[in-house]
Amino acid sequence: MDSKKKIKVLYIDDEPNNLISFKASFRFDYNILIANNTDEALEKLQENQDISVILSDQKMPGMTGVEFFEDIRTKYPNPIRILITGYADIDSVINAINRGHVFRYIKKPWTDVDVQSAIDEAHKFYVTTSMLAVKNEELQKAYDELDKFAYSATHDMRGPILSVLGIIDLTKNAEDMAEIKEMVGMMENAMLKLDNYIQNLHDHYSIRRGELNITEVDFEDIMKDMSDLYDIAGRLKNVRFDKSVEQVGKFRSDDISIKIIINNLLSNAFKYQRKDFDDKFVSMDIKVHNNTAIITIEDNGIGIPEKNLGDVFTMFFRGANDEIGSGFGLYNVKDALGKINGKIDVKSKENEGTTFTVTIPSK
Amino acid sequence: MSNEKINFIVVDDSKLDCFIAEKIIQNTGKCETVKVFQQASDALSHIKGADTSGTTVVFCDIQMPVMNGFEFVENFENLDADLKQNYHIYMLSSSINENDIAKVKGYSSVKHFLNKPLTNDTILAVLEEY
Repeated sequence: MDSKKKIKVLYIDDEPNNLISFKASFRFDYNILIANNTDEALEKLQENQDISVILSDQKMPGMTGVEFFEDIRTKYPNPIRILITGYADIDSVINAINRGHVFRYIKKPWTDVDVQSAIDEAHKFYVTTSMLAVKNEELQKAYDELDKFAYSATHDMRGPILSVLGIIDLTKNAEDMAEIKEMVGMMENAMLKLDNYIQNLHDHYSIRRGELNITEVDFEDIMKDMSDLYDIAGRLKNVRFDKSVEQVGKFRSDDISIKIIINNLLSNAFKYQRKDFDDKFVSMDIKVHNNTAIITIEDNGIGIPEKNLGDVFTMFFRGANDEIGSGFGLYNVKDALGKINGKIDVKSKENEGTTFTVTIPSK
Repeated sequence: MSNEKINFIVVDDSKLDCFIAEKIIQNTGKCETVKVFQQASDALSHIKGADTSGTTVVFCDIQMPVMNGFEFVENFENLDADLKQNYHIYMLSSSINENDIAKVKGYSSVKHFLNKPLTNDTILAVLEEY
């Protein structure tokens, strides 16, 4: 077994002879640290945060093993504690075990087999508890996200439905055909908004749960797809759309993730334009060299206030007073980038525009 | 219900919901003026700058970007008492979240929590109070 992977064990005893014989017996199986008193033990614990098992003698001058374990429990909750003691102290041992301070006790004089099995068991327990702590943290994060999600989803999905119900209520008393037509148009918009939200939601979960499908990615194709999606919208909104692609060599990644990323960034770039500004543009530049794709999406729209720059990738954060944003887009971008090991950088100035630079490595 | 006409302010980031509220309000025939704001901060500066004559009913959404309904109410509550006295705030939301509803009840200046959409029946019930 390589020494880095050996279980790290700290042994505390005021008898130097015990320390020496302990180390001699177990140094091949474990990574043994020894301490002659509790102060020294504290230093070792501080220096070695990865100690998984601590064995301590009970009878020591100054502080007993049980007292020492009680003392370190809050600061070092993770290492598993084993007490070594003679029959005389059995009451304090029982007490300590019952109070949860000690995982096992080994009676003196110890045998190699006893010590070995106690350490191995303790280590197993240590690994399980640490893994549980990590899993719990992940779960907590997922719960928090779900709470936030449920809250916003009710708002974002009920919103358009309630609007339509409101209009239906209005149409009951409306007689003018032109007015009714106007209202139907409004209902259509509300439904489009809901549909857009649901599609974002779908994107979100396909990124989250979906398996990556790594294939060769042709950025010319992606550019054509984006042209299909945005050329007409650009013309209607009077926004120039510049595109350039330069791909040297093959590039492998998940092309659905890449499309979700580019699509969201472009959608924002077209959405957040300055209304009364004449020379509107959005540009997309893709360069693929040395197994790295650099995608730059730039616009000269409303920009992002400096105080919001840190929040734009947060789920459901909405920085603008528009009614189209769902607070999902950039969060999805960040999520998708996480899956394909990409990075994103944003530079923006209010009323001048925004530039997103995405860097993705080939797989 | 008196025959006095009432001023209305609608605060909602959704253009559509503003439209609905405006129509419903106009249909009551009790409306002196109705002003619509898609940004809570604009509504607030309007209230600060307006002359304070006449009863004004405010319908305010909760979930809005930049300044939400709660922040609007908190800012409103900091205004001078004689400025505030003519305004009657109703929170109007799609929220079915209990925390939101409980939070609304905590504001002394909010009269009621109303569910979206604003309908003819709801607004008539509101107008009973004036």
